[in-house]
Amino acid sequence: MSLWNTFKQWRRRDADIDEEIGAHLSMVEQDRVERGESPVEAKLAAQRDFGNPLLVKEATREMWGWAWGLAWVERSFQDLRYAFRQMRRSPGFTLVAVLTLALGLGATTAMFSIVNGVLLTPLKFPEPGRLYEAQTIVAPRFKANGPWPVNARHFHEWRAHGQSWEQIALIDGLDATLTGTGEPQPIVGLAVSHNFLKTLGIQPALGRDFRPEEEFGNSNVVILSDSLWQGRFASAPSIVGQNIFLDGVPNLVVGIMPELRLPNMRNPMILRPLGFDVSQARAYGQYSFDSIVRLRPGVQPQAAISEMSALIADLVRQFKIESKPGMAPLLDQATAGVRPALWLLLGTVGAVLLIVCVNVGNLMLLRTGGRLREAGVRMALGASRQRVFGLALTEAVALVAIGGVLGLFLADAGIRAFAASAPVSLPRLDEVRIDWRVLLFASAAMALSTLICGYIPAWRLSKTAPLDALKAGSANATELGRRLRLREAIVGLEVALSTLLLVVGGLLMVSFVRVIEADKGIDVARVVSQDFALTNSKYTRPQRARFIGDALPLLANLPGVEAASVTNQAPLRGQNSTCGLRDPDHLPDPAHPDAASNFAGLANYQFVAPDFWKTMGIPIVSGSALEERDRDRRVAVVNERVARTLWPDQSPIGRHVMTCGSFGKSATLEVVGVVGDARATAEQEPPLTIYQPYWDTGMSEGSFVLRTKADPSTVTGALHKVLRSLDSDLPIAPAQTMMEVLDESVAPRRFEMYMAVAFAAAALVLASFGIYGVVSFTVARRTPEIGIRLALGAEPRQLVAMVLRQGLLPVVGGIMAGLIGALAIGQLLASQLFGVSPRDPFTISIVTMLLLVVAVGACLIPARRAIRIDPVRALRFE
Amino acid sequence: MPRHEPYRNHVELLQGTLDMLILRTLQWGPQHGHGISLAIRANSGELLKVETGSLYPALHRLERQGWLASDWKVSEKNQRAKYYRLTAAGKKQLLAEESITGVMKGAS
Repeated sequence: MSLWNTFKQWRRRDADIDEEIGAHLSMVEQDRVERGESPVEAKLAAQRDFGNPLLVKEATREMWGWAWGLAWVERSFQDLRYAFRQMRRSPGFTLVAVLTLALGLGATTAMFSIVNGVLLTPLKFPEPGRLYEAQTIVAPRFKANGPWPVNARHFHEWRAHGQSWEQIALIDGLDATLTGTGEPQPIVGLAVSHNFLKTLGIQPALGRDFRPEEEFGNSNVVILSDSLWQGRFASAPSIVGQNIFLDGVPNLVVGIMPELRLPNMRNPMILRPLGFDVSQARAYGQYSFDSIVRLRPGVQPQAAISEMSALIADLVRQFKIESKPGMAPLLDQATAGVRPALWLLLGTVGAVLLIVCVNVGNLMLLRTGGRLREAGVRMALGASRQRVFGLALTEAVALVAIGGVLGLFLADAGIRAFAASAPVSLPRLDEVRIDWRVLLFASAAMALSTLICGYIPAWRLSKTAPLDALKAGSANATELGRRLRLREAIVGLEVALSTLLLVVGGLLMVSFVRVIEADKGIDVARVVSQDFALTNSKYTRPQRARFIGDALPLLANLPGVEAASVTNQAPLRGQNSTCGLRDPDHLPDPAHPDAASNFAGLANYQFVAPDFWKTMGIPIVSGSALEERDRDRRVAVVNERVARTLWPDQSPIGRHVMTCGSFGKSATLEVVGVVGDARATAEQEPPLTIYQPYWDTGMSEGSFVLRTKADPSTVTGALHKVLRSLDSDLPIAPAQTMMEVLDESVAPRRFEMYMAVAFAAAALVLASFGIYGVVSFTVARRTPEIGIRLALGAEPRQLVAMVLRQGLLPVVGGIMAGLIGALAIGQLLASQLFGVSPRDPFTISIVTMLLLVVAVGACLIPARRAIRIDPVRALRFE
Repeated sequence: MPRHEPYRNHVELLQGTLDMLILRTLQWGPQHGHGISLAIRANSGELLKVETGSLYPALHRLERQGWLASDWKVSEKNQRAKYYRLTAAGKKQLLAEESITGVMKGAS
């Protein structure tokens, strides 16, 4: 039966019932006329006898059940029309309610869109649920930031013999410069095993994929990404089969691939094969490759991990490897860092929405006072309790619907602004949009908001006894009293939520300050850092060292520069090369020098020029710094942490550490100096650090660092000129002062803090309005009493105190509840905090005082109104 | 503080009783709503006056349950009205109820 037919049937039955009732009425009328009444009297009497025809009709219609539920639709439309009329009648309330609802719903929806795009949307590869990242779980003393990448030899075993996966691929980073025609363009890419694209489930759009034999060295083939092909080569299909020049070396383009969005690494513009034979790689140490796995359908990760362990069991035994394989879903890996922050912000904005709804509900409750009479009349005329409830709820529906739609537009605008300005770099930001999941969430939020806003006022209205409500004049005291207690409870809830949010915001703020203030071990104020890359093939290893050697004195002599140096690792931007730390003279297991038990931990190896510590402001604790005359010796400088770890109570000078690499291939270094600990990132403790002279390594990439007398940004121009004078082809990246670097590294934390504090402030403002409303109401209600007290000689001070006492009672209760809540969720918050405990008493006291001050302020305004009451008028007030 | 009585909307006869009265009235032949209410009033000696608000919902419910069927006919007074009559199922229901009532009457 089609919907239209159902509708037509319903209309017909409706008309039938009308006619039936009409017939009854006219029959009664006729009877009366026959008995001698006048037609007019008969008609009136018949109608009186009949009762309420509308009610009879409705009751009768209801007998036909849900198929005739269209009656419910008609009723709803009626209610909606009424709701709109009510809204037009009080524009102030409507405006406030709709605006706050729009802001609350909009902010919540926007936040959820971000959570949805970053955390929930699956990856855009075929069957993304089967994509995992292979990892290495290392012994705790080597632990850096979580699991490690994998070893190439282990990968070889897994690929050759593994059954749990369809494909497993190996990935290394690739930085090169496109040379040849046009400007040299630095590009980022990946060096991959031949089955990389197959693992992702992607075909090249043009040309072909890599062949297995191309994986080893000597085959210079590349696959270009779509964007590089469009941007650099104007989408010419003829590029396939031609050579392009990477760092001056010709490479054959064999295919074009669609743009890859990898969640946990840079989107590659170019793919090259690995360039070495993985079966010949070293089986221990060297965990430096990423690896993605496509599991077979139905295989559990645990089973795959077991197989991985089994396949390398021989190698583990032979080389005394202490680490274990691990596996994690590919999507989770990218987003693990931001996940807690995003959920935190979503929870925060949800709390604000709750307060908004509760506030609107409070306002609606205020208005029910004036509408009790109307409700009473409706019920006396025969409306059922549910009907009145439905009517009141429909108002909430209308408000939330308008607010919600407005909020969606706001959310959309907000997301676009966020993506465009990108205050923080979120992984997968491009996936953030309003899709079906976001709309579903928005609908659920609106439904919940409707319930919260509308339930209590509607319930209050429907509970009215019509007789009481119809009594002329004001509502009785008990009704007012009940409503007041309800509103006080609502205020308490708002204050509790505000307290919670303020504590969270306060803790984040303190954390942020602690991060900035933490001693990084380096001087951030007057240092500028300039990245450089000597990847062009014209630079051999000795030529690179010469370039740096030429540049340093020129840079040191620039006006305004106190000292200049170089490092392979841009300061405060993480660790570049880490290797195991061991003392060759005191190996716990000398028979197997490369066994993991010989290593005391993981050290950060930095390659620097002699004036490095003077430039960076790192103190030299003992011994001496590197010097030019050390060129013919193998020396190193260690930081205090290394000294403490390897030689706790002895002088480190004259002792030995080793360069990176296996025992047979690495050199012994003599320790000539100890320097202060310096952080590699703003938030983490300083790592074990070994400094070697830059001439010990190839150093195709690094950063020049300069210490300036004045503002670091002033020397940038001169710096660039010096570099250009040495090599006009050198691609030069912008210089950054250390302040800028620090700023960038704390940007996510700062953004999270701003958002949390903003939401907390919004909550506080809303709660203060709630407090103000309730206290005003109380004062108005107690006006006669206040008048009497004033007439009897009470001091204004006492009256203010009385109002304050009553007004602050729910506030105090709310604060306590909020603090208990804050302590309860403290553990969840811990991952986001730095240098401050979730129960920090300082923050809690400040928050409490702030709330009390605001609450007292909100109470004082009506309180002062109270003492200005004219006692005579008050006593006459009804 | 006196406890508030919950406000009630209708005086409701036991639905079963009203249904029985209607079925009994219609065993004498089809009748329209007004006629049924007059008949019930008459048969109870002016004691039972059925509210239209109860009667019509009951009639429509019984029709929906399949115990009554309805037609539109013209009455004696030239008035178009909806006439209800017992269906076979309605007759069976009536006999079943009557036997129970009879047993109860006999027992009391």
